[in-house]
Amino acid sequence: MQVKEVMSKEVITVKRSTTLRQLLEIFAKFHMFPLIPVIEENNRLVGIISFRNLINAFRPHELEVLKTVPFLDEKKEDIFKIDLTEEIGNLVVVEDIMEKNFISIQEETSLEEAFSLMELHLKEEFPVVDKRGRLMGMIGIFDIIREVFHQKGVI
Amino acid sequence: MNTILGLGFILLAGLFSARLINKLRFPAVTAYLLLGIFIGPSILNLTSQELINSSGFISNIVLGLIAFGLGQSFTREFFRNIGRPVLWISILEAVLPWVLVTLSFVFILKQPFYVALLFGAIASATAPAATVMVVREYKAKGRFTDILLGVVAIDDAWCLIIFALSLAISKAVAFHTSNTFVFKVIFHSLIEIIGALMLGGLIACFATLFSKFIRTQTELLIYTLGFILLTTGLAILLHLSVLLANMFLGTVLININKSNLEFFDVLKLIDSPLYLLFFVLAGANLEIGLLKGIGITGIIYIFFRTTGKTVGSVWGGYIVKVEKNIRRYLGLGLLPQAGVALGCALIAKNDFPKVGSMIFTTIVATTVIYELVGPLCTKYALQKAGEALIEHHQNI
Repeated sequence: MQVKEVMSKEVITVKRSTTLRQLLEIFAKFHMFPLIPVIEENNRLVGIISFRNLINAFRPHELEVLKTVPFLDEKKEDIFKIDLTEEIGNLVVVEDIMEKNFISIQEETSLEEAFSLMELHLKEEFPVVDKRGRLMGMIGIFDIIREVFHQKGVI
Repeated sequence: MNTILGLGFILLAGLFSARLINKLRFPAVTAYLLLGIFIGPSILNLTSQELINSSGFISNIVLGLIAFGLGQSFTREFFRNIGRPVLWISILEAVLPWVLVTLSFVFILKQPFYVALLFGAIASATAPAATVMVVREYKAKGRFTDILLGVVAIDDAWCLIIFALSLAISKAVAFHTSNTFVFKVIFHSLIEIIGALMLGGLIACFATLFSKFIRTQTELLIYTLGFILLTTGLAILLHLSVLLANMFLGTVLININKSNLEFFDVLKLIDSPLYLLFFVLAGANLEIGLLKGIGITGIIYIFFRTTGKTVGSVWGGYIVKVEKNIRRYLGLGLLPQAGVALGCALIAKNDFPKVGSMIFTTIVATTVIYELVGPLCTKYALQKAGEALIEHHQNI
């Protein structure tokens, strides 16, 4: 069975220009912050945002290029002590904090392969794209488990 | 002290001393290096000889890991992100210390060319840890800070390339004197460099090809480490450049497939204790007795490296027309020197037994000076550029 048969097709997406404030408001009523795809006008997937990226909003001057640098001291941000200004909600946009290097899977991928990719990358959710890189849906570990229960006749 | 006890002691003492020096606002690497000097044979003698003897071995592995990690910088996306100013400034601030230190060692100190070249190459390295720490501490932000961080991020990659080239030439000059001298030097250097690139590229293709059999993170870690050690080992066996082979392994991997980024991320699980060990052993290798003899060498090295870094960044800034305020103070932010320089010096010590100890001692001594003074210079540069929030910091 292929990913496209069990994935969620109705996905809430954001754009690069969505502000941090809008982002937080969209998901205010969710009981947790999901993995959110960032798309362009033509539905092309350009990034993803998880709650880990929200932490990046606390350190806006940390450059992506420093990721390759050896011997850097780890910096754990104490988010309870940091001073955030009101403007940051409008100043920081999705493009500033989104993850540009991310894993997506093709809609024709088999469920078995999707599951082992989740195991390998320690992820619970992947965005699903077509051959042209357009977002088609999201697949989570629960979708796969539910399908297995379904096939075995449990549900 | 037996070796295992020594290892345990080094790890725990390293952790403790890093926390301690963090309060004085110095990076952990400075603590590791100073700890190494104190527990080394020259002062407290708390390390086993076996451990000291394995420094070259650890250094090769650690530099292999670093070179592999830096290899992922060489993508079109990365260069687009860092921008043209960073590219030019970083190249010139790395190349100029190389040239100036080499020339000054040949003409002022009358050192043999191959020794001067090694010193020059080591002089091109900077230590991002110290610079980044100061930037974080003073919550600096702005164009100066962005360029400074961009430059320190790519700088070590240039240094490793420069050092690999210089090491190849130095070995050829030192070990192949004959009538057909120039030809032999070029021939041996080229073989060492091109061979390393071929080896790295070939292993990267194998690593990508078989990566589909990897199922878990644990397997991925073993797989990645295995390939890095394989590359390092083969490079040593075939007398090729360990640094270039690993760097190219990283570059080819990331350019074959962007999801190969996993190879780099997974190493973060194990690199910290290795880095700690590497710095402590580097410190422990310092022969205090040799310090007396390096006075003038150290002064010339510090003077021409500092000049090279400063003039190089002014020159680079001039070419790409960045603001006067930025190019004037950037060099001051690039003075710290640590890990990459020490690693290169340890390799030089291993490969050139006669002059290696002198090179190594000079680099350790100047590293201690640069690591203690460098952060102050970075702080001064950030203040002068108007991008450090000093008052804010003092309020906390």
